[in-house]
Amino acid sequence: MVDASQGIEAQTLANVYKALELGLAILPVVNKIDLPQAEPELVREEIARVIGIPAERSILASARTGEGVDRILEAVVTALPAPVGDPEAPLRALIFDCKYDAYRGVVVYVRVMDGRLRSGTQIRMMASQGTFTVDEVGIFRPAMAAVEELTAGEVGYLIASIRNVRDSKVGDTITEVARPTKEPLPGYRQVSPMVWAGLFPVDGDDYQGLKEALDRLQLNDAALTFEPETSAALGFGFRCGFLGLLHMEIVQERLEREFQLNLITTAPSVAYQVTLRNGSSVEIDNPDQLPEVGMIETIAEPRVKLEIVVPREHLGGIMELCQERRGEFVQLEYQPPGERALLTYDLPLGEIIHDFYDQLKSRSRGYASMDYQLTGYRAEQLVKLDVLVAGNKVDALSIIVHRQQASNQGRKLVQRLREVIPRQLFEVAIQAAIGGKVIARETVPALRKDVIAKCYGGDISRKRKLLEKQREGKQRMKRVGSVEIPQEAFMAVLSLDR
Amino acid sequence: MIADPGRPLARSLYLHIPFCDTRCPYCDFAIHIGGDHLHQPYVEAVIRELDWLADSRRPQLGLETVYLGGGTPGLLALPLLEQLLAAVEQRFGIAEGAEVTIEANPSGLTEELARSWLALGINRVSLGVQSLDDRALRWLGRNHDSATAEAALRAAAAAGLENLSCDLIYAIPEQPTSVFASGLRRLLSYQPPHVSCYELTVEPSTALARWVTSGRVLGPKEQDFVEQHRLARELLEEAGLLQYEVSNYARPGSESRHNLAYWQGRHYLAAGCGAHGFIDREAAEGLGFSLSPEDVGVRYWNLRNAATYIKQVTVRGHGRRGHEALDHEQRRLELLACGLRLRAGVELSEPRQLVEADRLAHLGLVTIAGNRVAATPRGIEVLDRVTLELAAS
Ligand code: SF4
Repeated sequence: MVDASQGIEAQTLANVYKALELGLAILPVVNKIDLPQAEPELVREEIARVIGIPAERSILASARTGEGVDRILEAVVTALPAPVGDPEAPLRALIFDCKYDAYRGVVVYVRVMDGRLRSGTQIRMMASQGTFTVDEVGIFRPAMAAVEELTAGEVGYLIASIRNVRDSKVGDTITEVARPTKEPLPGYRQVSPMVWAGLFPVDGDDYQGLKEALDRLQLNDAALTFEPETSAALGFGFRCGFLGLLHMEIVQERLEREFQLNLITTAPSVAYQVTLRNGSSVEIDNPDQLPEVGMIETIAEPRVKLEIVVPREHLGGIMELCQERRGEFVQLEYQPPGERALLTYDLPLGEIIHDFYDQLKSRSRGYASMDYQLTGYRAEQLVKLDVLVAGNKVDALSIIVHRQQASNQGRKLVQRLREVIPRQLFEVAIQAAIGGKVIARETVPALRKDVIAKCYGGDISRKRKLLEKQREGKQRMKRVGSVEIPQEAFMAVLSLDR
Repeated sequence: MIADPGRPLARSLYLHIPFCDTRCPYCDFAIHIGGDHLHQPYVEAVIRELDWLADSRRPQLGLETVYLGGGTPGLLALPLLEQLLAAVEQRFGIAEGAEVTIEANPSGLTEELARSWLALGINRVSLGVQSLDDRALRWLGRNHDSATAEAALRAAAAAGLENLSCDLIYAIPEQPTSVFASGLRRLLSYQPPHVSCYELTVEPSTALARWVTSGRVLGPKEQDFVEQHRLARELLEEAGLLQYEVSNYARPGSESRHNLAYWQGRHYLAAGCGAHGFIDREAAEGLGFSLSPEDVGVRYWNLRNAATYIKQVTVRGHGRRGHEALDHEQRRLELLACGLRLRAGVELSEPRQLVEADRLAHLGLVTIAGNRVAATPRGIEVLDRVTLELAAS
């Protein structure tokens, strides 16, 4: 799917190459052709040149107006290979998603590869080992519609009074108890998180609710991991692993919206491999867990191969950005020659999980796109930067940075914190320190004046309502030591310009 | 829990008289410019509303305080004032030794007028001096100058009006602290027993707010607030006027009893446009408010526009615009917020609040004696935050 106004983006390209490797059929669609700045024919030609699919095979469409949708559906039938599978063979169905329904239990979304599924079939989940009796099967049109039977090649859902979400794992194979298959399907490659952050309920009483919500989300989000975490500053919460920043934002947003949780999210971190002087090694995904400096031999950070597609006029700015983020240039190609640059950098993952994507967009007026893959770990001169607020170390604010950037980052971080931490009844010092040595300091001056001297003819309600509102606002802050710190402070490191 | 001093009866009455000659650019009170022809029908409407209030079928013990606020009630002709006070006396009774206050502006306050007020039983005048610096008075858009203000001060003294209060505004942009100080010293030379000293606030949708947003004038500065508030306190207390409430100073014994009623969380009746009243549960039920079992009292407020107010009173007997029933928790919050404004402070009994108070005491913001917590001078400067800290704990 290519945007008619943007052309091929880096992620599309990366996915096309993956699909080609797996020998999948590709059906190009040029979407958003209704936009005034759309250039559908140019984009078709670009697809032909870059991917090698003849221009006329790209379908022009607009999801907004519905134009071309019929041609896409037709092409799905004619251009894509029909599913293979044997309806008479033992049942093999792949769980590709599921959802929880308060009345009917887990609704399992399946693709039947072999065999048949109907109500009354006794099934077994091959990995989780649970057995159930199917109550209903059906298809999506797009609402759920019950059918007699799902057979090899069909996609649909099943309901089998499954109460525990853990019994239905995405990627698991369903077979029949009476006539099981020998080999489960390969399922999905377990994707592992690349970014970690702490999630803490602002109100400690919500801890159990947060745990249940994460359980629920994990049901159809295999990439989400979480483990209990305790922070001296923030109390009890969870260390959660995400695929990337976008994934993290989605999870956070769903927790707040769907589960009405009021959360503090700490700045995301990557996982570091730490080799100790005694020869052992540990992997940490939380800067605060970094062992004592004296014990550390080396700290290695994950690196990625970063591919960026960018119009040539913005190339300079983007290369500068990669350079600032400790990137090492790998190669530059023009695709097609002379037009758009495909830029490859080798760069620490930790540098792109902060505001890299926003910077990329802002320095290319929205035109650059990126994709990255983990390539390995490399030892670097890394140090832990601690933040002290009113003399107390706030564990949740620690970050790991490159030694050369430490003082600059430390200074920016304390400046940013000074802006977001509201004035308190006393002066608050904010310090950045490395191994106990303070490298930057700012102060939030004490509140000088906060009183309305005037009161209008007995209007006490106004005064009380204001107080009630302020009290609510205050409850969204976290008191660390004696300082009230707002939620956004814990993400301050994300918005440091360098 | 803070002891509830509100029961058993409202012994205070606020009457709002909205008329003014001009609107001062910083003012957001419910006022009415000009319209002398409205004075008579307005006073009649207020009297009708008093009938409605008197209907609460409560035993009447007589009012301890009556406050004619505005606007500029001093603009009302004597016969109208007389009519109004007679109506109050007839419906509620005015207790022996009651405090009866009228707000007035310096222009037009003569010795003779002050004597007439005294004769009507008005024994306290709150005078809108605001400043004794002509530049500042012009900046404030007041329709009097410092000479007029001083003439009014002399007239009040000559009439034998002992219970005089002067309003003073500080943190006026472009007025240096030294000029504010000399104005205050001059005011103190008239030895008023009571001074209300409040900072200039930029209220939304006033002319001043528009000027500040458009950059035509500078807004009040925090620095000036802190400096002048401290200085005022120092000079006033030196002159024997103690800061008994955030913005009120008095010689001991000359505190405004009406004002204290607000801050001590007592009940008070109110009539007139834009007026706010606070009545207990029983009185509210007598007046036909429907309450839920946990409500402990009702705050009500009237229509702000004088003409609309008159119309509604004619039809419905009252000028009410809205009301709010208070539950125990809201009442508790108010008693805390109001009580902390007083020199005497408040009694706290929740252990968590006392722990918080102790923390605030270490910061030099409150003093604690037994369970009684009171703000220090520094605490008063940040009192809204101090209140929030205690309220949220
Ligand atoms: S005299 Fe008082 S009430 Fe009247 S407009 Fe001026 S500030 Fe407002």
